[in-house]
Amino acid sequence: MSKANRPNPYLAPLSTMTGRIQSLGLLILFVFIAAAVFAPLLTQYGPKELVCDPFQRPGGAHWLGCNDVGQDLLTKLLYGARVSLFVGLAVATVSTLVATAIAITAGYRGGWVDQVAMRIVDVVMSLPFLPLVIVLGVYFGASIMTQVLVISFVMWAQPVRELRSQVLSIRSAGFVEASASMGASALAINIRHILPELLPLIVPQFVRVAHNAILVESSLAFLGLGDPVQDSWGSMLFHANARTAFLTGAWTNWVLPPGLAIAIAVVAFAFVGFGFSTGETRRRSKVVNVPKDEGVSPEAAADARLAVRDLVVDYAVPTTSVRAVDHVSLDLRQGEFVGLVGESGSGKTTVAMAVLGLLTPPASVNGGQVWLDRTNLLHASPALLRLLRGRRIALVPQSAMNALNPVTTVMTQIVEALRVHTELNQSEAKERAVQLLRLAEFPDDRQGAYPHELSGGMRQRAVIAIALANDPDVVIADEPTTGLDVLVQAEIMDLLVGLQRRLGISILFVTHNLPLVARVADRLAVMYQGRLVDVGAPATLDRPDRHAHTRALFANIPQLDAPKRWRREIRTDNDSSVDRPILELRKVTKTFRSPGFGRARRNVVTALDGISLRLVGGEVIGLVGGSGSGKTTIARLLTGRIQPDSGSVLYQGQPVDRLRSKDRIGMLQAVHMVFQDPYQSLRRGMRIRDIVAEPLRIAGQHAAHDLGSKVTEALSAAQLPADEEFQQRFPTALSGGQRQRVAFARAIVTNPRVIIADEPTSMLDQSIRMGVLELMETLRRDRGTSFIFITHDIVLARHFCDRLLVLRDGHMVETGEADTVTLRPQHPYTKSLIEAVETEAAPRRLAAG
Amino acid sequence: MFTRIVGQYVIVLVTTLSINFALPRIAPGDPINYLVGEDTAASLTQAEQDRVLQEFGLDKPIPQQFVDYVTGIFRGDLGTSVLLGSPVWEVVFAALGWSLLLMSAALFLSAILGTVLGVLSAWKRGEQFDIGALATVLFLGSMPPFWVAMLLITLFAANLGWLPSFGAYELGTSPGSLAYLIGIGERMIMPVVALTLVQTANILLTARYSMSMALDQDYIVFARAKGVPERRVFFGHAFRNAVLPVYTNVMMGVGNLVGGALVIETVFAYPGLGSLIVEGVEARDYNLLQGIFLLTTLAVVLTNLIADLTYPFLDPRVRRTA
Repeated sequence: MSKANRPNPYLAPLSTMTGRIQSLGLLILFVFIAAAVFAPLLTQYGPKELVCDPFQRPGGAHWLGCNDVGQDLLTKLLYGARVSLFVGLAVATVSTLVATAIAITAGYRGGWVDQVAMRIVDVVMSLPFLPLVIVLGVYFGASIMTQVLVISFVMWAQPVRELRSQVLSIRSAGFVEASASMGASALAINIRHILPELLPLIVPQFVRVAHNAILVESSLAFLGLGDPVQDSWGSMLFHANARTAFLTGAWTNWVLPPGLAIAIAVVAFAFVGFGFSTGETRRRSKVVNVPKDEGVSPEAAADARLAVRDLVVDYAVPTTSVRAVDHVSLDLRQGEFVGLVGESGSGKTTVAMAVLGLLTPPASVNGGQVWLDRTNLLHASPALLRLLRGRRIALVPQSAMNALNPVTTVMTQIVEALRVHTELNQSEAKERAVQLLRLAEFPDDRQGAYPHELSGGMRQRAVIAIALANDPDVVIADEPTTGLDVLVQAEIMDLLVGLQRRLGISILFVTHNLPLVARVADRLAVMYQGRLVDVGAPATLDRPDRHAHTRALFANIPQLDAPKRWRREIRTDNDSSVDRPILELRKVTKTFRSPGFGRARRNVVTALDGISLRLVGGEVIGLVGGSGSGKTTIARLLTGRIQPDSGSVLYQGQPVDRLRSKDRIGMLQAVHMVFQDPYQSLRRGMRIRDIVAEPLRIAGQHAAHDLGSKVTEALSAAQLPADEEFQQRFPTALSGGQRQRVAFARAIVTNPRVIIADEPTSMLDQSIRMGVLELMETLRRDRGTSFIFITHDIVLARHFCDRLLVLRDGHMVETGEADTVTLRPQHPYTKSLIEAVETEAAPRRLAAG
Repeated sequence: MFTRIVGQYVIVLVTTLSINFALPRIAPGDPINYLVGEDTAASLTQAEQDRVLQEFGLDKPIPQQFVDYVTGIFRGDLGTSVLLGSPVWEVVFAALGWSLLLMSAALFLSAILGTVLGVLSAWKRGEQFDIGALATVLFLGSMPPFWVAMLLITLFAANLGWLPSFGAYELGTSPGSLAYLIGIGERMIMPVVALTLVQTANILLTARYSMSMALDQDYIVFARAKGVPERRVFFGHAFRNAVLPVYTNVMMGVGNLVGGALVIETVFAYPGLGSLIVEGVEARDYNLLQGIFLLTTLAVVLTNLIADLTYPFLDPRVRRTA
């Protein structure tokens, strides 16, 4: 496990069917190529030599007989392989080389280069390629080289389109942004990151082009446009057709072999590309295993609407199975709000899906019962389950964007939910749908809208209206607010709780966000590694006698009015004016335009408006705000990734855009970024050592010994193992928390003066967040590093930062000392941010930090 | 949106015209060979050659030549076929109908067949049916279409004698008579089958892939959670979404189909564009080949245009938001 090798990105393992088919394809190609290369050894005749009687039947010295002029057909077949395979492989090589170069240039440069390149690709792809190849063929003659060029001319466009979209997605990946923010040049990024990620994707394009090129060559040759000097398989068929050999007995030895040779060669290419082109062939069994024993109705609390008993769910993985849910029992009473809390991989969503009977293989339910009143849902027939789902027990799913069918309107989808369970006709259902949407506070004028036309919050309201359509008794809400802006999240929470109280619904609310449910839930159920470790009212859970994991969860929730967790010597404004700021923004304004031409370009978004900021040594400044507030834009300005429209960005008093290249390198080493998602910001194909060494290499340091000691030191400082074995690992072998520490090791390897941390803990599990913040504090204390801490969590920011800037839509609404801003907020926006994350119902922690 | 799409296809047409215009002028050899045919050119005296060049406007400056060429095209002047001695426009137009007949039949059949089998394959993903269908299309899609046609003839015409394998209609029957129509039908079967077999592979793979993708989406889980019956989940939700890439693929496959049809016609001596091409290639009749290239491009551009303009009716996400 620890020494996880990266799977070969080119070929599937031989143990899978895809792998075996790929190997078979390679084997066939190998045999064909060998036959072509060694043709003179395999036959004693020449391809143009007249060695037998016309139309001589197969046998003896001529296994495939002879053609109309007396040439040996087997010889022609072997030599034909040379032409056909050469054309196929040469075209594939030329086309993919050209396509890769164009795709990388267009995809990375973007802008007009990209627009022009893609226009040309569109045009080439709109041309009917065979007529085009024919016209080009007749004009430029029929030599093999011109054939290669002419076929390549029509073949390069398709791979450009595919590869360019891959380049775009790689370019927008976190590790490219990270590399660019370290100051890597475009060329370096292309060579170090984009090309290695793209290589495995180039192979299937090569295979596909070779596949098509062999077919096109055979068609050309068949039309009489083959090289007159050297016959390919297609030319053999051309001659056979011209002599109508297929109407005579000669078809078995003259027509069949070359056609079969083409088909088998082409199929072999298809086999090699099998894993890429046809998608997975994993068996989709429709029925999930259920426990044999039906069980009897449990002696649960009398008012329990939903009772889960001893639920066991396993996931089959190759050769073994993993227990995802381990004997979980849980009651949901009438009108109760139960929060099912757990970190990633704890099994909480699996419980929710098992309750609804919506698990799909490889999951299998291997024990337990799920009682909805007197019905065991695990044993209900599919027809009965269908009647209960949406009617008695409903789901509010994880991501509303994906849960709504993109091609029908919100109205249609509610009407459908109503009509599958009731006798309502279309217009009655519509009337009811309007009421439901109003209930969910969905704006009246958007009822006919399609999902893509709605904001995240509106989509979530639509999904809630659908879930409540048939007055269900029980609602399973699976992370319904995850991914929403912090303020929208609070609104949706209020809506759900309000509806639950008003309609008397029982809600099982699945979430990783303990503070979110702690203030509204009647009871919390905490899951850890598949087990239910604690159940109880929120106030009773944060106690020393509870499970260690429960305590860890609570310990990692920052409290608004607890004593500040990280106390530092407080600087007054007078002090900081003495120090020269390391980084400074002066009245910076930044706008973005939509990409494209003409009308689209006029859509201007103001990302920042008149923002000022100064950061001195050892200081921690928090940038707080919801999504779209401009926090990340500030980070990009401070690292010189973008330039302001007006105002200035200063590094040690010097405008960043006017730094000389030497000072610029100095600045890039002095200011480093740590990004939100460590799964994105570290490239999976790089070893830990190379990841951490990247800033040094960008700064031009390449001496192996020097790099090695600096990397080791940085890893130790980030509280990671620094041994050789660890340095040789890939990020895929690390946990999320370890990955984020690697990101910090990378950030500190050049010993920077400032680290800009963009939501460094929000993608991590709750129980390890504080550990990462402790690491940051240690770095600050030991190395005097300043931090700019970007977060949506104003309470967390209060504990960690010295000063805060509260941002909204690019404006600064409030700034000041962290405690002043959070404990005595002046602006209503600051207040709403506090309300959104505050955990009022949760117990006050007895001892802080 | 609309102007963008139309603009795109105008560029395609201009490109095609430019290629056609440029080829005789940049290709190796004397352009006069391309205009009147090599044999004729060789028999002409220098004075006569000059006169021909003048007649074709080749003594004028290049931009002027291009303008003349394009306006000529719009007047329907595609030059004269050296081979047949009549205007290219007439020759091509006479053959076009037969090719369209084959192509539209194959397009229709392969779209239906590919979609139905692809959807079934996705439904039975990993089962015998799916593996069988995949293996079959993998092989069919790898065969040269003209070779499939030759095998069909060998089997059904030469050996079994069930179907005629030559031409598009029975010689000697009068157009419009029942015998004439039956003759057309009989002679369509094999070319259409050969074309369909090859074309279906691509559509089946797209249908299977997009259906598999659609079935794995969250909206499928949510539809089930709503209590929507399985059949409706499959057709109303999954297929409704999966049909979008299939539609695009069918329409974009027309360019490929044109190529297949051209080659297959030659095997059946079908009097469409394909047979014209072979004759054109043999006689190096450049005007004729360029005319066919222009016309097929026009046909492909037209279907792509129709596909682009109708796609928004299927997918609300690309509709222009007011």
